[in-house]
Amino acid sequence: MEEILFGIGISALAGALATVAGAAEDTESDIGSQGDPNSQVQLAPQMGYIHRIYNKAISGEPPAYGLWVALAAGIAWALMAIQYNAILALIIGSAVAVFVQGVYATTAYLGRTASLAKFEQPVYIDILKSVTTVTMAHAFVAVFTTVTMCFLIIEALGHPFPLPLMGLVWGIALGAAGSATGNPFYGKERQYQNYPFGAGLPISASGDIVRYAEAGQRSSLDNGWFTSKGAGPASGICFGLIVFFELWRTILFEPFAAGWGAVIAGAVIIIVFMVIDRMVETWARKTYGPYTTEAATEEEATA
Amino acid sequence: MSVKIEASEGGMDHNVMLGIGLVGALVCIYLVYLNTLMSVEVFAFFGGIAAIIALWWGTDSIKNLCSYGLGTGVPSAGMIALGSGVVAMLFATKLAGISPLLVPVGCVVIAAILGAILGFISDKVLNMNIPVMTRMIAELTVVGSLTMLGFTAMVAGTFSFGDLITGATSVFGVEIASYASSVIGGCVLATIFMLGAIAIQHPFNACLGPNESWDRTQMCAIECGSLSMIVIAIMSLAFLSLSAVVISFVIAIILWGWSYSELIKLSKRDAFAWLDSQPIREVGGEQ
Repeated sequence: MEEILFGIGISALAGALATVAGAAEDTESDIGSQGDPNSQVQLAPQMGYIHRIYNKAISGEPPAYGLWVALAAGIAWALMAIQYNAILALIIGSAVAVFVQGVYATTAYLGRTASLAKFEQPVYIDILKSVTTVTMAHAFVAVFTTVTMCFLIIEALGHPFPLPLMGLVWGIALGAAGSATGNPFYGKERQYQNYPFGAGLPISASGDIVRYAEAGQRSSLDNGWFTSKGAGPASGICFGLIVFFELWRTILFEPFAAGWGAVIAGAVIIIVFMVIDRMVETWARKTYGPYTTEAATEEEATA
Repeated sequence: MSVKIEASEGGMDHNVMLGIGLVGALVCIYLVYLNTLMSVEVFAFFGGIAAIIALWWGTDSIKNLCSYGLGTGVPSAGMIALGSGVVAMLFATKLAGISPLLVPVGCVVIAAILGAILGFISDKVLNMNIPVMTRMIAELTVVGSLTMLGFTAMVAGTFSFGDLITGATSVFGVEIASYASSVIGGCVLATIFMLGAIAIQHPFNACLGPNESWDRTQMCAIECGSLSMIVIAIMSLAFLSLSAVVISFVIAIILWGWSYSELIKLSKRDAFAWLDSQPIREVGGEQ
């Protein structure tokens, strides 16, 4: 009984860390315009809309976060192998991973923007200076919490995977959660605030992203402010629930039917969530915005 | 059949790059063997240089493959390169049982065969119909396996399977051999895999666009490779002596600093304008 209580406590702690990680991850990726919103940021200058938005094209979020977290975990693992204090090792690992992330971010912005010279998109060097550090700070929070969570799962719950492999698995999961949950708020809505909600993205509107703010020009930092209000916490809840349910079902149901209990519990949780998702989706479509069948087909075609 | 769009004009011929990449990477990986011959660890950094050379060549292969309209396929190409490369690389390290000198060459041969099969399946069975598919996937598999082998040799100072699965851990000051603290047992390979996979796809993914230029993309490849080399050097703390780590680290920092400053210069050259704190220039989009 005590073992189960301890396990549930660790699950809750890991879930809390994952919630923070998910929120920070989505804020980071939206500030940098990584993932699917990136395609419109990349397209805008080609349609004649010069903008001052960061263009952080480092593959999709899942592989990118797979690297940052696996890297932090790998360095932490190496430092722990030479008898470093675990907390210090995790912090140094995350810091080095974030350095790599920052360098990749700058080369992506410089590379993509310089390659758009034909469309007269200049490189705004002040964006590089002000936004990169902010994405790095958010990435540090996301990477450090995820790698700490992996460390807890291994040390406290006795998971057999070594830290770097655990980091790779959960890093990819973190990137996928942020990319799937948070990005639509930014990529589908915030970039297209001047079009009706739920209107989808007609071809004629491609690249016509919002470039001006309440005062002056929209900066990617505004996206951080926006994301931290809605999309970030949503991604955090998503990733937190993934981690919590994953650990919770294993701890509670593993003794049943030689381990199959946990598998069945997992399948039941997925089915329950599919039903909830569908209900929330239809409720949102009915309650908000002009949603017509025509717009739906268009949205699907461009998605 | 897909239509080819020329990514960038000029630059070195791809076959020449293939030659330089293949020979350069192989020679550098063989130089790591000096460690075993001379019973030292300081030559580990040659593994990182081998990986940089392989990535430099692989970037051009990705560019060739992705000039057939595979915009979002660029990161996937990097993943398949390293994913298939790791199979060939692990298999090749087992050849050290026959002779350690067989490992790098065996790695290239196995990867080429594996890549050709994968490329054939993508091109003919999945009907992607891209003329260079089979050849480029084969090349990318070789690049992926050489990158993995190079970084593994750099982190461990050796490339034979036996050494990769035995590590030493110290319990109360006593050194004992353990699988869990080895390169493969500790899954350092997972980190190396991601470092290689992102580094191989990033240069072309980051520089693609109408004004992509050969030298800037290739400089970005060197920059990504040496950035990975810096962190591999830090991870080799777990396996190598401090002097070997410091040598690897310093060489990686110098290479990265040089390539990063060159990359910024080249971006400045290619950019439409290089502005600091300036407003949006309107060029005629709808307001």
